[in-house]
Amino acid sequence: MTPVAAVNHWFSQRMQRWLAARLPAVTQIRLDRRNIFILPTGPGLLFLAASTLIFITAINYILSMAFGLAFLMISVFLLSILYTFRNLQQLSLRRLPAEPVFAGQEAAFMVLLQREGKRAHEMLELGFPGQRVSLANLLDDVEVRVPLYLPAPQRGLLKAPRLRVQTRFPLGLWRAWSIVDLSMQCIVFPAPVPGPLSGRANATASGQSEASVAGTEDFQGLRSYQPGDSLKQVAWKSFARGQGLQVKQFVDQADDRLMLDWAMLPGLEPEERLSRLCHWVLELERSGVDYGLRLPGVEIDMGRGAEHRLRALTALALWNGHKGVSS
Amino acid sequence: MSDAREQIPRISILWLLAALLLLILPHATRLPIWVSILLLACMGWRLLIFAGRLGFPQRWLKMLIVIIALPLTVMQYRSLGIGLDTAVCLLILGVVFKLLEMRDRRDIQIVIALSYVLAMLSFIYTQTILATLHAILCFILITATMLSLYRDNARNTIRDNGRLAVTLVLQSIPLTIALFVLVPRISPLWSMPLPVSSSTNMGVSDEMTPGDITNLGRSSALAFRVSFSGDAPAHEDLYWRGLVLDFFDGRTWRRAGSTLQTYQMIQRFPSTFRGVPIGEPVAYDVILEPTQQSWVYALQLAETRSDGIVQDRNYALITEKPITQRYRYQVRSHLQHQSDLDLSAPLRARALQLPEGDLNPRTAALAAQMRSEAASDMDYATAVLRLFREEPFYYTLTPPALGDESIDEFMFTTQEGFCGHYAGSFVYMMREVGIPARVVVGYQGGEYNPYEDYTLVYQYNAHAWAEAWFEGEGWVRFDPTAAVAPERITLGVESIFADQPGFLEDAGFSMMRFRDTQWLNTLRLRLDAMDYAWNRWVVSYDEDMQNQLLGSWFGENARQGLLLTLGSVIVLFFILGGWLLLRKGQYRQHDPASRIYLALLRELAVCGLPRKRGEGPGAYCRRVAALRPEYAEQLQQVTTQFEALAYLQTSAAAAADSSRLGQLRALEEGSWQLRRRLLSPWRRLLVTLGVVR
Repeated sequence: MTPVAAVNHWFSQRMQRWLAARLPAVTQIRLDRRNIFILPTGPGLLFLAASTLIFITAINYILSMAFGLAFLMISVFLLSILYTFRNLQQLSLRRLPAEPVFAGQEAAFMVLLQREGKRAHEMLELGFPGQRVSLANLLDDVEVRVPLYLPAPQRGLLKAPRLRVQTRFPLGLWRAWSIVDLSMQCIVFPAPVPGPLSGRANATASGQSEASVAGTEDFQGLRSYQPGDSLKQVAWKSFARGQGLQVKQFVDQADDRLMLDWAMLPGLEPEERLSRLCHWVLELERSGVDYGLRLPGVEIDMGRGAEHRLRALTALALWNGHKGVSS
Repeated sequence: MSDAREQIPRISILWLLAALLLLILPHATRLPIWVSILLLACMGWRLLIFAGRLGFPQRWLKMLIVIIALPLTVMQYRSLGIGLDTAVCLLILGVVFKLLEMRDRRDIQIVIALSYVLAMLSFIYTQTILATLHAILCFILITATMLSLYRDNARNTIRDNGRLAVTLVLQSIPLTIALFVLVPRISPLWSMPLPVSSSTNMGVSDEMTPGDITNLGRSSALAFRVSFSGDAPAHEDLYWRGLVLDFFDGRTWRRAGSTLQTYQMIQRFPSTFRGVPIGEPVAYDVILEPTQQSWVYALQLAETRSDGIVQDRNYALITEKPITQRYRYQVRSHLQHQSDLDLSAPLRARALQLPEGDLNPRTAALAAQMRSEAASDMDYATAVLRLFREEPFYYTLTPPALGDESIDEFMFTTQEGFCGHYAGSFVYMMREVGIPARVVVGYQGGEYNPYEDYTLVYQYNAHAWAEAWFEGEGWVRFDPTAAVAPERITLGVESIFADQPGFLEDAGFSMMRFRDTQWLNTLRLRLDAMDYAWNRWVVSYDEDMQNQLLGSWFGENARQGLLLTLGSVIVLFFILGGWLLLRKGQYRQHDPASRIYLALLRELAVCGLPRKRGEGPGAYCRRVAALRPEYAEQLQQVTTQFEALAYLQTSAAAAADSSRLGQLRALEEGSWQLRRRLLSPWRRLLVTLGVVR
């Protein structure tokens, strides 16, 4: 580490510690003088430079009215501190649950902005450091939901960094901001990756489901899928084996259930397995087939529907080695 | 979160163009005409870009404009010297050129900062009330431009931006005034040449060819304004002395040496004050209009403590630099005095100088004859004045031209002249017989403005008179013009020339022309009084005035008191401003129907019938009707009307506004009928004032 980087690192560590002490993580925060910072912007300094130039000219040419103009500029500069500060003051931020996303997508954290006072708040810029900024206005509305974007490259629980809410209203001379930690988090599902389930599926799709399938004698065979066939009759197992879409002619209901098992994907890295399983959860849910999920340390029963899907995907997102699901 | 490359909102362009147009307007008369055209063309182009009719200019075109415009400007101004005028012109050109390549917020920020500087530039030329109001208007427009840059929402309209900009400026004005009064003024850091404005009136010049001064009689421009601390002296005593012209070449009277040399001489060898004051002095304060010349005007015998003014051996007040801006100075004059009881040899020689050769033999002969008839030098001088009075001399603004023997021609042939002719001839006749004498130029008289208690002296008050020296008396003032036309001195030049052709000929449609119309004359004097007060108390507010003012507040500890006050003012600004701006604001977006209904609800609440949280108008109405049946009917009616207006308005929005207005009026009427039953007017007042809950 170069000395500069070391100093930067040390400084940012100190900064983080200071912020953590001053603005601890909360679920809701009301902005007031304890947590609003304010400093002039670049254009603000330019404005000051112009007023200084006018002031010096006024001194040198003894121009009373130029003094007046310089002082008017200074007064507007000082007054806009109050205006900029006021634009953040009496504003409260509350975290809303974030919609889960798949890895590789952009997570959208939702924040509810509410005015505590009766004043309008204009041109609020919200965003995570280095990320896209969302603009929000509270002109006549009492509250507004603001999405905040953050890339979610990996599955798991994405914890949002501190949120920066700032404003340069009205004149852009000052920037008032606060860096709040709303301890927002978002579940990131694994990125779905299509691909076949292993040939060992039959063998390892054992247990109860295997037993319930065993008594099917009236199975007549498979024919290839024709457009118009019910998706319910697709032989997913053989499809999963890579044998193409086929339709079972005498369907045994028990056969229509599929246990997605960690062990069906031997030889793959754990993350790859999770992605593949994720793909199958989505695929089976879409086609209306009951499915279950078995990961080391996690077992989800057969089922279907949005809630079931969410449970399965969440398990995939939060699976944490053989210890089960991380909290 | 970098904003450098953000787009400029369209409305900002409009604000900026309006601001720049207004900013450049007062410079238009000073700028070369081609510059004005170029500026308009650039702004027009930008407007077309705004309208989507044209693209940004090509790079080569921009280069071409700059390559042509810059040297042309410099050449244009070279005759005047590369000074402030050139700088102003280049700055304006630069700002307007920048318009054509202004694409993002960073560009427009620079243009905005420069616009504020432009707003200051016009103060270099004029600092009148009008110029100040103009600058404030420009300031508001520029501020609105800044505002529109950061308002990317529904409120980014001309109305909302304009209103907020005006509010910001008005709220800043109290602090501005405090800073103006309190921030310590310091002397210029380095000296800079001021621009020479070409259009100003030059006033009295430092040479006099009889006939010259008549040009001033045509001008109603202001020369200076005087306020006396006591009573003003009589009109006939107001001889505002400017320069002494003691060298005569046969046609023209001049002063010897340049004013700058004189100034430097006196700076190096300060002379003692050689006048002998008699009696009490009059003290007064003069604000001189720019003359571009290095002397100022005062009543004889003057004493001044203002910096940069010295008194030369002829008691003229000389300044170091030409007066290029309104200039204020204080003088004490001893109207009763004696001066130069001992006339030094060089001064005597200068006061006796006559042109080479015998140019005016008839005048010389007349002088010799009259001196021999007179008992003393003083008698002789009186006799010459009598000659002017009794011979058919005529005082006119349009005297005939004179040849080489100018004095003889005037004295014996034309006998028509303005003050310069009489003063020159008088001095000539004195010098012919060995009496030291000299011509003095300046102003005589003035107009009293009762509204602000000061005297106005105009260019047409320009005058020339004579001074002659007598043993035991010193210099004595003689005004030969007074002998010819006494009312010129007692009543003023306007009283005798009002009907003469030539008087105020160049004044155009000046209000001076209407001085006979009473109310217009009053208006003129009032406006001037305002301008004068502005100059006296605001524009001339400087280090001295500040020290005087602060001295009167804090006595000895003026500096400490100043800093303390300045600090308190800023703290007070934040406390007061913080309290006013940061307390909870009021909703003001209720529609009129809700306002009427809510006002009724407030009074019902006062009567012990508050609406419950979340209770709709209908439910509330039913509950009140059950509790207080006597209000039921009216409340039911108002509620129905309110619901129709408030909830059905989307469907009924298409309905004519006039019917809605009628409904509103009915709602208001119904609501008031009920309110009158609920509360007495007195109780309502107490409730409104918050005395009773």
